[in-house]
Amino acid sequence: MTIVQIRPVPAAPADTTAPVRSGAFRDAVAAEFLKVRTLRSTWAFLGGGVAASLLGALILFMLVGAYDAASPADKLKYETADPTVVTMPFVMFFVGAIGAMLITSEFGTRSLGPSLLAVPQRRTLIGAKATVAGLIGLTSGAVFVLFAFVDARLLLGDRPAPINPWPQWTDAIPTVLCSTLVVMATTLVAMGLGALLRSTAGTLTTLGSLVLVAPIFAHFLPTVWQLRLASILLPNLTPQLAGSNHPYLLSPGGAVAVVAGYVLLALGAGAITFHRRDTA
Amino acid sequence: MIELVELTKRYGSTLAVDRLSFEVRPGVVTGYLGPNGAGKSTTMRMMLGLHRPTSGQALIGGRRYDEIGHPLHEVGAVLDADAAHPGRTASVHLGCLARSNGISRARVSAVLEQVGLSNVADKRVGGFSLGMKQRLGIAGALLGDPGVVVLDEPVNGLDAAGIRWIRSTLRSLAAEGRTVLLSSHLMSEMAVTVDRVLIIGKGRLIEDTSVAEMRDRFERDVLVRTPRAAELTAVITRLGSTVTITEDGDLIAVGMDAPAIGDAAAAAGIPVHGLTPRSATLEDVYLEMTDEAAEYRATTEGITR
Repeated sequence: MTIVQIRPVPAAPADTTAPVRSGAFRDAVAAEFLKVRTLRSTWAFLGGGVAASLLGALILFMLVGAYDAASPADKLKYETADPTVVTMPFVMFFVGAIGAMLITSEFGTRSLGPSLLAVPQRRTLIGAKATVAGLIGLTSGAVFVLFAFVDARLLLGDRPAPINPWPQWTDAIPTVLCSTLVVMATTLVAMGLGALLRSTAGTLTTLGSLVLVAPIFAHFLPTVWQLRLASILLPNLTPQLAGSNHPYLLSPGGAVAVVAGYVLLALGAGAITFHRRDTA
Repeated sequence: MIELVELTKRYGSTLAVDRLSFEVRPGVVTGYLGPNGAGKSTTMRMMLGLHRPTSGQALIGGRRYDEIGHPLHEVGAVLDADAAHPGRTASVHLGCLARSNGISRARVSAVLEQVGLSNVADKRVGGFSLGMKQRLGIAGALLGDPGVVVLDEPVNGLDAAGIRWIRSTLRSLAAEGRTVLLSSHLMSEMAVTVDRVLIIGKGRLIEDTSVAEMRDRFERDVLVRTPRAAELTAVITRLGSTVTITEDGDLIAVGMDAPAIGDAAAAAGIPVHGLTPRSATLEDVYLEMTDEAAEYRATTEGITR
């Protein structure tokens, strides 16, 4: 049983060193970092990303075993074993979910009220949340992409193309950078969707639909439409940004425009809604 | 100081707050009173920037709340005791608020001690009782040592000791020259906690007065006990009082106050065994004032066992 004692303690003295009246945005960002670190769901979603990465490594390990046992003619029929194709949509979902929870967890637990009492300038608050979402997307994305890259280099060794997407390790640099960028963009999109939808379930369902379901759905469309839709889906933007071999329609510049469009649309709609709505 | 100027809030066809203007001054505890649905919480939310007014403005220290940088140093507020993430500990919850306003960790420990939660500082808020959550909310309001404190229904969920603690805390905050505003729908609670009351109903200000003025204004009569009722009746009737004699032989005098009746009785040499000024209870007065303005009011008529 928890016992609460009431003590007749006089009003605590004011902290004379604390009232720093500038740097509201910097302090808001620091507070958002503390909040996201202390959400249990953050660590659960990162665990999901680790599990997806390990599963991707296991699948690659099995693929390499089958490749080694295949005849020389069959080996030429193998597709590129780019681990980011299998793993990254799941990583995008899990890291993006952390971005979404930055704001939906506050709607869900009514703790947005105290947050707005502490930082009443809504642009500052949502800007701080977006900054934290972007940095988490960037750092987590980089870690998971580098893991996939190292894992692929170790498992594929000096095996030739087409199974080895990066015969030289430097060949992987554009993919690693662009994949990280797409994870960061997805995290920002998820945060924008969270501000717009205000519901964790709704936001995660929409995010899952964007990065996991839509690419499967695209396969059932006629070829022309399949390519058009698939080319603008978040997981498929990495090879188009990197300019590597891919079947899609966009140039690197076009892919940059689509990534920027996703982020601006989701964050913009979320920020406008957040700015206008009364807070319960 | 808090200043409301023609503050109005409309939700579709419902006028929740109607051209509300008043000031809340420092140095006293001000109660914001009204029946359920009167617009108390909406007003407070507009004061604190959570709801946007349809027209008018609410100023704290001459500025809108959202114009204040690091506002926890100037305004401490609790609008919803249950508004903390249940997965965070009390210490971390306050730590997040403190970090956003450049307040040190030492201050977090100090306010937890002040509200009596230091022994549960590292427990998750989800396991707290409503009373503990109220204390945590108040700890958050005190974090920045603010000059203005705004509390919405702060005694809800508190036990008797907690209510007494809240009263003494609010009084000491006001005594230090701070502006203290708290809302309630219970006149009985306000009567012993606040110095000044603002009463609203249907979004409009009904009364802005002190508790003492309110009590005086609704003083009704004086109950007089005397063994010589007929003689005293004659004396005070001559002096302009209207007297009714009860079945017990006591007098109920209207139109003279207790000291005047006492003086008249002494001058006439009539002994007086009891002299009790009677006023309507503040609860009665409040219900009378807000009767028309109550959005929801139950009736006992037609209820049978």
